[in-house]
Amino acid sequence: MKEHISPPRWPWKLLKWFLNKDYLEELQGDMDEVFEDDLLTVGHQRAKRRYLVGTIRLFRPSLLRTNRKRQKLNQIDMLKHYIAIALRAFSRHKTSFLINIIGLSTGLAASLLILLWVNDERKVDTFHENDARLYRIMTHFQLSDQIETWDYSSGRMGQAMVDEFPEVEDAVRIGHSQFQPSGVITYQNDHFQTKGLFASPNFFQVLSYELLSGQAESVLNSKDQILLSEDNALRIFGSIEKAIGQSIEVESRFFSKDFIISGVFAKPPTHATLQFEFVVNYDLLIDRDSWANEWNGGYAENYLLLKEGTDIEAFNAKIENFLDDKVNNEKFTVFAIKYSDLYLYGNYQDGRLLGGRISSVQLYTLVAILILVIACINFMNLSTAQASKKMKEIGVKKAIGAHKGSLIFQFLTESLLITFISLLLALGLVYMLLPQFNELTGKDIYFNWLEFLPKTSLLALLVGLLAGSYPAFYLSGFQPVQVLKGQFNHIKGEAFIRKGLVILQFSLSIIFIIAVIVINRQIKFTQNQHLGYDRQHIITFESKGLTSEKLQTFIQALHEIPGVQNSGNMAGEFLWGEDSASGYWTVKEPDGRNHIYQSPKMGYQTIETLNLKLLEGRTFDKRFNDDRKSIILNEAAVKYLKLENPSGAIINYGQNDKREVIGVIKDFQYGSMHQAIEPMVIRFRDWGPNCIVKLKPGLELETLRRIELLYEEFHPKYAFTASYLADDYAALYDTETKESILSNYMAGIAIIISCLGLFGLAAFTAERRTKEIGIRKILGANQGTIIALLTSSFTKTVLISIVLAIPIAYLFAKEWLKNFAYSIELNWWIFALAGISCLLMAWLAMSTQVIKAARVNPAISLRNER
Amino acid sequence: MKKTKLGEFEELVLMAVIVLQTEAYGVNIKQELENRLNENLSVGSVQSSLKRLEEKGFLNSEFGEATQKRGGKRKRIYSATPYAEEVLQEMKDIRMKLWKAMPNFATAK
Repeated sequence: MKEHISPPRWPWKLLKWFLNKDYLEELQGDMDEVFEDDLLTVGHQRAKRRYLVGTIRLFRPSLLRTNRKRQKLNQIDMLKHYIAIALRAFSRHKTSFLINIIGLSTGLAASLLILLWVNDERKVDTFHENDARLYRIMTHFQLSDQIETWDYSSGRMGQAMVDEFPEVEDAVRIGHSQFQPSGVITYQNDHFQTKGLFASPNFFQVLSYELLSGQAESVLNSKDQILLSEDNALRIFGSIEKAIGQSIEVESRFFSKDFIISGVFAKPPTHATLQFEFVVNYDLLIDRDSWANEWNGGYAENYLLLKEGTDIEAFNAKIENFLDDKVNNEKFTVFAIKYSDLYLYGNYQDGRLLGGRISSVQLYTLVAILILVIACINFMNLSTAQASKKMKEIGVKKAIGAHKGSLIFQFLTESLLITFISLLLALGLVYMLLPQFNELTGKDIYFNWLEFLPKTSLLALLVGLLAGSYPAFYLSGFQPVQVLKGQFNHIKGEAFIRKGLVILQFSLSIIFIIAVIVINRQIKFTQNQHLGYDRQHIITFESKGLTSEKLQTFIQALHEIPGVQNSGNMAGEFLWGEDSASGYWTVKEPDGRNHIYQSPKMGYQTIETLNLKLLEGRTFDKRFNDDRKSIILNEAAVKYLKLENPSGAIINYGQNDKREVIGVIKDFQYGSMHQAIEPMVIRFRDWGPNCIVKLKPGLELETLRRIELLYEEFHPKYAFTASYLADDYAALYDTETKESILSNYMAGIAIIISCLGLFGLAAFTAERRTKEIGIRKILGANQGTIIALLTSSFTKTVLISIVLAIPIAYLFAKEWLKNFAYSIELNWWIFALAGISCLLMAWLAMSTQVIKAARVNPAISLRNER
Repeated sequence: MKKTKLGEFEELVLMAVIVLQTEAYGVNIKQELENRLNENLSVGSVQSSLKRLEEKGFLNSEFGEATQKRGGKRKRIYSATPYAEEVLQEMKDIRMKLWKAMPNFATAK
């Protein structure tokens, strides 16, 4: 007899899930019978194939599992029942309910705030109608030892690209930030200072800055036209209509002339990186400085409007060498980046995208998610820990026919209910805290209910499902018979999972604490570091519109004010540390190496005012008739140039020029501490408009007033605005300071939520072990032993978290500190402090519950049979 | 005519059930129809019709015996309800009347 061949069994494993259970036996029987028949008539292979095809054809609505029977139940009543049960549970377990609500609502509020901030960051510069097609031209410039990335390029670039590449629909050029005409507007006797922009005539056609009056195509066609912001127009003329066609005078370092007002635009939105108060034609910049229209001049920001469907990768490959034949070298690589991406991804190093603000955005999104996870863990732990109390309910329900599905639904209802109550509280919190949050982050975020309500509800739904899923599946999986018999054994690994979750919570908290300590210490370090120059009692302000002779007279007059200890001037902001120059060399390097030196341009007395330490030689001095040929080096530059006797040394400048080193100063921190101390060449300029004045301590207010009077005498049109160098220095670390404050709050919240959870678990454990504690006490255990007993398991959990968290935190901290050229050491005590403080907080959270449990009179705890 | 919602294939299945009497279970019904219609049917199509017919009140069913051939699974024997026979009769009458009312169909071809 032939060996018996049976039909394939595996499809049924799947079919079992889909087919109506009542039909399963009959269907399988029929299928098998047909198979047996087929075996005899068509052979094994075809029978098998037919069988498989047959099983697929069983997927028919009338044979599939239906919900018809359940649909007949009254779902609304069921839901009401679930909610009633949930509310009763809340009022019965008030502590855990409160812990859940507090944890989830603060967690939700914190993450909502962060998400609002992230949302706001992502919105920057996306308001342009053509956002998807709007690109900005950037260039990589190859130096001998590195690649610099510039966001400015030649003023001719845009139009040339329109002519040469069919993909480019239009191009806009504006003056780069260093070529923006800040100046004074004069109308009759009214003068005030304002910030402007040079732009090509199509500026308002291509970019979506709103015109309130005037036609976009004709407002900027001539050099005599000017557009004012709404604020400016209202301020001078009282209404927009009155402003149009009026003549005003504008004076800036680029021009001083009369303009006809051709249009009025609305203030650029807060989400625009480009902020300006008047706009004039770019040709004016060319008139003043012909380099603005040369291939070699990097005066413009060029925007491209690409045609729909342009492949940017392919386009970038095409324009890569666009400049090579125009500037006769191959050092430039041209590329276009989507304009709205530039804000978040603007950081390049050595020609590679390094990120930019996007890293903070991502970091904070992660923090928001982690805080929510910590809050969810509380909910999971408290619900599963209370499982023993819910067992009877579940047993009875199952015994009278509740499906696992409906139990899961019940528990999810409970968790969703809690999340939505928390969401309401969180929204209230966000609403209250938003003003402070805006102040902290320097943003102008408002809560748009219509926009955010669906999103926040979705978030709450996700949180509710995440928090509720584990308890729901865990609790609904009990076997009714065992539960009702009281033979319930904990599911294997349940305590393990709970401990794991607590470890996760505390590890995150410890990482947050370490982050806070490291960030705060680094900020403090940068603020207190001796930088090699004085910051205290020094004010800086900009002198505007003076010739160099007049400027010198002004500085001379400053010296005569009794409260002024010293004063000097320089070109460019001292603190930004941006000014640089190249071309200085002693011995010709074979590869034509051209080091870019940090290179501030200073006037007389500036080095003395800042108290930079002179090591040898002298500083710039009128008596020696110093001019551009005199330079002062720092120690690093002396070393770099390998000068034996620096003072008085003559070094080469460019191909056939010389410079004399008149002095050497001690290295100091130029710019923020993000920059390392590098070789520096201090150049001499007597016209630098940035005045630096050292005040005598004690008389500051009086002196400031006298300086202001003198300023007004010399600069009748300008208002005097001075700031303290120390404050400006602190502002350099604005981002970090904000980060540190934010991270302080976030870490605080994370720790509070974690401790709340631990508090709840401790309370629960103590309650469950009441009898055990009673018996132990009767057998002679003292309170200390009981406390140690109850604390030890949690202590172990926290210790494990510490061990896990420290290496991770160490790596993160090391990575973050790489942003600074000079940073604090990662001392062991930082980690110890974080660990110990976390342990102490955990103990504190547990203590009340544990001590309470240990003090209960055993006679009472053992009396009732519950 | 009452709203019977009896589809064409369902009508055939129903009639096959009546024909097969006590032997009316899935595979038999399928084979009966295959022989008569001269086409291959799938277990699924016959079964889904059976389930729909049962739901609409044309069929009753009960478990029968299990056989070796069926891997030990029981058969489900179907039987038509009086209502089904009534509806079938009614449909036949309507058809007959329509046939009679038609002009000479055979010669028109």
